[in-house]
Amino acid sequence: MTRRRAPTTRRAALLALPAVVPIVLVVGVSLTAAALQSFGLMPFIGPPQFSADAWTRDADELVRSTVTSTYVAMVSTLLSLVVGFVLAAYVLAIPRMGRIVEALSAATIPIPHVIGAGAIGLLLSDSGFLERLLGMPEAFPALVSGPWFVAVIAEYAWKESAFVALVVLGSISRSVGDLCDAAATLGASAGQRIVRVALPLSAPSLAVSAAIVFVYTLGSYEAAWLLGPTSPEPLPVRAVRLFTSIDLAARQQAMATALVSVAVSAAVIIIAILVLRRHRSLS
Amino acid sequence: MRVILGCLLVVWIVAPMVPVLLWSVAGQWRAPAVLPSSYSLQGFTALATPDTARAAASSLSLGLGVAVIATPLGYLGALAIRALPVTPSRFVEFVLLAPLAIPPFALVMGINVALLRLYVSPPLGVTLVLAVTALPYTAFMFRSALASYDHRFEEVARSLGASPGQAARHVRYHLLSSATARAFFLAFLVGWGDYITTLLIGGGQLRTLPLLLGSAASTTGNEQLTAALSVAIILPPLILLAGLTLPGVRKRRQ
Repeated sequence: MTRRRAPTTRRAALLALPAVVPIVLVVGVSLTAAALQSFGLMPFIGPPQFSADAWTRDADELVRSTVTSTYVAMVSTLLSLVVGFVLAAYVLAIPRMGRIVEALSAATIPIPHVIGAGAIGLLLSDSGFLERLLGMPEAFPALVSGPWFVAVIAEYAWKESAFVALVVLGSISRSVGDLCDAAATLGASAGQRIVRVALPLSAPSLAVSAAIVFVYTLGSYEAAWLLGPTSPEPLPVRAVRLFTSIDLAARQQAMATALVSVAVSAAVIIIAILVLRRHRSLS
Repeated sequence: MRVILGCLLVVWIVAPMVPVLLWSVAGQWRAPAVLPSSYSLQGFTALATPDTARAAASSLSLGLGVAVIATPLGYLGALAIRALPVTPSRFVEFVLLAPLAIPPFALVMGINVALLRLYVSPPLGVTLVLAVTALPYTAFMFRSALASYDHRFEEVARSLGASPGQAARHVRYHLLSSATARAFFLAFLVGWGDYITTLLIGGGQLRTLPLLLGSAASTTGNEQLTAALSVAIILPPLILLAGLTLPGVRKRRQ
């Protein structure tokens, strides 16, 4: 058995190479180069010289960007999960209307975020479509470029709730029907079936999509740049501004900012994995 | 109650696209008018420039390039995950998912220096980085397809006298064709709709449709152009998506 397995394993390992090598190369080179550059060891011009300046200079600004990005990502993720689950539950519970909702929601998935951001801009901006619909009230708040990133969060929640619904539907649509029928024969109401059957069944897929949505929104540039205020800056906006600055020293700070966002993403993913493990060992 | 919730959900999904569609065909539309006071196609005629055509060609070739690279590599990765023993299989899985965990702008900023030092041309560099970004999607599309794939079909073909190549060509490729189409579509979207990677690596040399859109949307008073460009970017993938899903739906109905 082992003599037969060794060559197939080797063949399988060879199969993996074309996919694994480019990823390892790109990710490895990228993270190493970013780290070296952030410490001044890989300067654009001139000799390399170690300095932690990029990490210590304007450190409070870096912290503020991290807090801002985490806030935007957290609220967006929460909203996407809630709306995404409601979408999925509706599609499963109401056959005909549900199919329309499902098709419309799936149709938004291919829309790139830069277009979503442009669209939300036309909808929510000052004298945008929503304000016109409401009859141009005096007290219309500054949703675009406002202090609470409302338009940015709206864009993420809009795009990502469709993604969450897709993931949840894909993972529970096969099993949920029978279980809901069983619950119904035992006398469970529609609300109870959703809260007691569909919600626990979708918990793992909700956790996975929460991690994906959080990491995505934390690192996404377009909506934060087009719809956010100029200050405080989320991490991607700060990093891109520093990266494209004519001051070459700003590059070091851009790399530090990029690495901070990588670290926050990694931390969130590790937390998600731990939560999922625990969930699995409990059930 | 059900109908109200359904309508609310439809409004949630459709609302952002309504002003886009209206602006794309609006002639004059001044606040506080709820609807445009006149309609025209000037937004779309403004797109008929060599500049936009070049950008469309760049977007198309970027999308196709990313899909052509990431789809077969994703398939190989998924095959390897299935065939390898547990520990190496977990490792391959981890590597294939890793690009999802790294914000795209961070990935690009780090790799940019290496691409510059190796004199990789911007279009090639953008395609390579985006193919890596798209690999998790294609690999896991194939992984879920292979998980429900029944190998006995191939065995039957083999026992009926088909060579391994014939079995793969006539059985496996057919059974995996819809997963391949979906994987190709997802990878195409990564290239077609990308903004930040193209902006940072392309350094302004590579102008794609999303880049044109970004510069139109970031300045005020460009609503018509922004909307018309948005429609022009969304429509091709939506048509492709409909082409991919409708035959399947019809088959299931029959």
